Amino acid sequence: MERRAKGFRKFYHRKREVRTARGRVGQTQKKNGKRRKQLRGFLWILPSFLGVMVFYLLPYGDVLRRSFLGAVDGRFVGLENYKSIFSNTAFQLAVKNTLCFTVVCIPALILLALVCAVILFRSKYGGVIKSAFLMPMALPAVSVALMWRLLFHAQGILNQWLAQLGIAGSDWMNGGQAFWVLVFSYIWKNLGYDIVLWMAGLAGISENIYEAARVDGAGEWQCFFKITLPNLKSSLYTITVLSFLNSFKVFREAYLVAGDYPHESIYMMQHLFNNWFRGFSFDKMAAAAVVESAVLLLLILLLQKAWDNKEG
Amino acid sequence: MKNKKWKRMVGILVSIALLCSGLVGCSGKGNGGSSDSVGSSAGGTEGSGGDSASGASDGSANGTEAAMGRFLEEEIESAILFANIFDMKRMDDGTIRLIGNDADQGKLCVWDSKDAGQSWEKAFALSDELQENGDGYVDYAALSNGGQSIVAYNQIMEGKGVMPILYLTDKEGNASKIPFEMPDKKDMPADGTFDASVYSSSTVYDSAGGENAENQPTEGENSKEENPGGGSPEEGSEGENPEGGSPEEGSEGENPEGEGSEGEENADGSSESYGSNNLIMGLSCLGEDQVLVKDVSGRVYQISISDGSIKQTYEFGENSELRESFLVGDKLVCQTDAEVLVYDTATGEQQSKEDTLQKSITESGYFLAVDSLDGGKGMYWLSSKGLFHYMFGGSVMEQLMDGSLNSLANPSFYVNRLLMLDEQNLLVAANDSSSSSPTGVVLVKFTYSADTPARPEKELKVYSLNDSREMRQAISHYQKEHTDIYINYEVALAEENGMTVSDALKTLTTEVMAGKGPDVLILDGMPVETYAEKGILRDLAAIAANADGNYFENILHAYQDGQGQMCAIPARFMMPMAHAGSEYYTPGEGFESFTERKDVLAHMEPDSVVEKFWYSCGAAWKKEDGTLDGQKVADFLARLKNAYGEFDGGEDESAEIVLAMEGGVSPLHKISLDYGEFDLAGKKINANIGLYGGGDYGLIRAVSKKLEGGDFGMMPGQAQNVFVPSMVLGVSSKSMQPEVAEAFVGYLLSADAQKLSMNSGFPVDRDAFRGVIDGHEYEPKEGQETAGVMMSVAGDSEDVSEAISYEMVPSTEEEIKKLTDLAESLETPALMDDVIKEAVVEQGEKVLKGELEPQAAADAIMQKVNIYLAE
Repeated sequence: MERRAKGFRKFYHRKREVRTARGRVGQTQKKNGKRRKQLRGFLWILPSFLGVMVFYLLPYGDVLRRSFLGAVDGRFVGLENYKSIFSNTAFQLAVKNTLCFTVVCIPALILLALVCAVILFRSKYGGVIKSAFLMPMALPAVSVALMWRLLFHAQGILNQWLAQLGIAGSDWMNGGQAFWVLVFSYIWKNLGYDIVLWMAGLAGISENIYEAARVDGAGEWQCFFKITLPNLKSSLYTITVLSFLNSFKVFREAYLVAGDYPHESIYMMQHLFNNWFRGFSFDKMAAAAVVESAVLLLLILLLQKAWDNKEG
Repeated sequence: MKNKKWKRMVGILVSIALLCSGLVGCSGKGNGGSSDSVGSSAGGTEGSGGDSASGASDGSANGTEAAMGRFLEEEIESAILFANIFDMKRMDDGTIRLIGNDADQGKLCVWDSKDAGQSWEKAFALSDELQENGDGYVDYAALSNGGQSIVAYNQIMEGKGVMPILYLTDKEGNASKIPFEMPDKKDMPADGTFDASVYSSSTVYDSAGGENAENQPTEGENSKEENPGGGSPEEGSEGENPEGGSPEEGSEGENPEGEGSEGEENADGSSESYGSNNLIMGLSCLGEDQVLVKDVSGRVYQISISDGSIKQTYEFGENSELRESFLVGDKLVCQTDAEVLVYDTATGEQQSKEDTLQKSITESGYFLAVDSLDGGKGMYWLSSKGLFHYMFGGSVMEQLMDGSLNSLANPSFYVNRLLMLDEQNLLVAANDSSSSSPTGVVLVKFTYSADTPARPEKELKVYSLNDSREMRQAISHYQKEHTDIYINYEVALAEENGMTVSDALKTLTTEVMAGKGPDVLILDGMPVETYAEKGILRDLAAIAANADGNYFENILHAYQDGQGQMCAIPARFMMPMAHAGSEYYTPGEGFESFTERKDVLAHMEPDSVVEKFWYSCGAAWKKEDGTLDGQKVADFLARLKNAYGEFDGGEDESAEIVLAMEGGVSPLHKISLDYGEFDLAGKKINANIGLYGGGDYGLIRAVSKKLEGGDFGMMPGQAQNVFVPSMVLGVSSKSMQPEVAEAFVGYLLSADAQKLSMNSGFPVDRDAFRGVIDGHEYEPKEGQETAGVMMSVAGDSEDVSEAISYEMVPSTEEEIKKLTDLAESLETPALMDDVIKEAVVEQGEKVLKGELEPQAAADAIMQKVNIYLAE
């Protein structure tokens, strides 16, 4: 028995060795295949990666380097530029306005777009109306700016309408209202895009879930809060990030309507960068760009983390 | 499997091909065709960079070697002082003949040259009946190739206007009348009245037959403008500009329309007060037996010399005005404001359209002068862009000379006549007020030099936001003296590009940081202090120290910092001044007392009032910590509002018409003192304020006289003794050739450059300053008792009482001292910050219009400015 057992062990060992050897060969082959696959994948993304490297990463590295140097002479100044921007009241104002704008606009836009999307999704004419909401995106920024000027000028169309109603007008772009005009402008322009994104998310939710819930006696609101919203979480991340990035484009309208120095409530980071560039303040620009990109990256990572956690 | 491999291979190859083509596209530098390419081929294409004489250029086609060959200019130093030159022709025997006025004798003469214009001998003086005397004057004269001359003599009809008479003078000088009667002008009013003031209201005449008092137009008249879209024919043309000071005008012996006399006649509305309702505005000999005459309405008559009969009449459409007409062989080339038309003078018929000629004019500017070498098969023509050659019926316009490399680009150089000696030599008669000639009339010879590089090897880039005529003059002179340097003058805010100051400065920033920026910066309108702080500008203290002029030191050192560094030097300056009757202004008074007078600034344009006072007040607003004093800004606006009174709705219709006639007013001219003088004389405004940087001192004197007790002085302001730096020079710290740039800056401060003046800024050199204000050009010549230069200006043609007439005479020592003392007293540079100025003007205009309270406007200004200053 022992012999048999020994023999079996030997056989077993030999078999295992053979298996292991085969496994090693197989693993090596698999590994090689995987590497080859990875290499092939890498080769396919190489042009894109090179583009990102040349056009984004290297310039960003240069910006990072310049943030420690003098504007024109290139002399090393340490953290002087960072100190300078944090004590700069124009920078503080621009940061404050940009944050205010983001905090007000993005939730308002996302919520409004969601409401519109849900209504349109159930409507028979949703497709047509959706296209109408997309129209502002097709308009060039210059035309939009011209329209705002005509509308919101001290002697503009809006004030004429208000005067006909017996309401006193205002110099909309040169007072505290300028901020709300800009918020309105941003929402007006981006609402259609967000609606489309939300509707895409809504279309992805199976109708069977709603039917099952209704059979179990769930009402419309319960269906919305218990089924619709949880299933739109994946869309929320995309919409939030895109809305956030789009919010930076509102500068175009603000700049075209009010120039380099608009009312202080709509003086954004981009105004500051624009004016710094004109005055050769590359040192401050570089430091502020590094700070801003760090904050943006942090925010996006936090958002992604929060999303991942919820997904988990 | 095989298929897959093939697909993969093809995919890889396509990817490589795309990548390669992309890279080639990125790296490709212009393989020729660049406007900056050196030289040009002999074939000649439009827009070639350098110079080439037909068949003489040896420029390499591939551009690897520097192309050679360029026209060099030389001013002919003649013993004869020409008061003007009417025409030049090469006669059949090769002699060059010239007809013009002799400045020394004041006589109309004909000269001959046997040595291609180097020396001149008087052939004869024209007969006494054609000489300028109390009975008439000569406006135009033309020569034929046979040597005979036709003279347009304006006979004064005893206070009843003028009668143009054509005289033929044969080769030997014997004169006879041509029996020609000038037809009525085309747009004669139904009642027969003739508004001669349109053609002669501002004519300058010089009874001494001496120099032309008004050789170049004042700013805004745009006489050298060659933009096909701009200006009327008379405004832009050489030699035939009755208002803008044509070269011929200086020759007029007596102007019957002077002193506004014709205006009085016009007021009567009677046509009988004039000899003729038409005038001759141009003359050319067509062979030996015919002459072409252009009239005031733009018609051209082809007249037989023998009997004075009209063989042909060339008329142009109602919507098309004749700008200039030239005779090329037997072809009449007419340049209207819209197109170029070619007529055959033998038949009078229009020839087929020359599209290439038309296109070239749009790109290269209107003809200034024309000539031919081959009897009219082709034509040579000059514009400020250079010398061009065109064969009729051809498809190529050949540029032979680049105007930017010689005097042709000089804004004070007015081409009068062109004479092609051969393909490589040409003679140009011109008026150049910046020349050494006392009369301004010069003969310049251009000669092709095959061994001179087509374009100078060194290129110096000069950059300014706005065009500066003084700078163009200085560049032209500097290039003439330094043939190895090409100065590329870039003006950012050109009319056609519609660029804003902010956009221009951003582009400049990009160029400077990319190492492709200018070497010399004209910092007017730019943030000088920011640039100095950022290290963009080199220290020019050594240049200022080495400059050997007798300068107004307070102005020259306006930008010197505490460490003695000078990153910018003003080469010129302007004085904020006020001019009014004694009830509205007392020289030397303060801002408070001046603005206490209600309505003293009434009826002026609100934005312009704020802008003008910004210069005299802004310097007082800046606090030691660099911020603005909001209280002073509010006080400034409140006081201006008090002085302005109620807004009356803006410019009246007549002002708009005047503006339209002027073809728009440059921003600088609009805030100049000169701009408001007519309104002050006409009592449309109570006080005139503005920047004074040279100009018509005689006009100020005349207006003071008219106001009875009027006087001028510094503009009242919150800051004292303010001056406005102008032509502020800086050298880029990124310049690759700082020595060359500094040498050019040094030249701009030299006596030669300082004495160049186009009335947009006083020179900082004391001697040159005196030269600008002393009116030396009006001093009588030897043997003359008085200069007798009279200028008559009409403020409003409808109201004769508003016309101002004044004598152009040298300034008295007292007047010179007054202006010099004012300049000596200047010590505070005006706040030259366009961002703050824009904010102040924008809000200030609302205050003067009554749309905003001064305090609210000041708050709005402070809000914007504080952000700007915090940046």
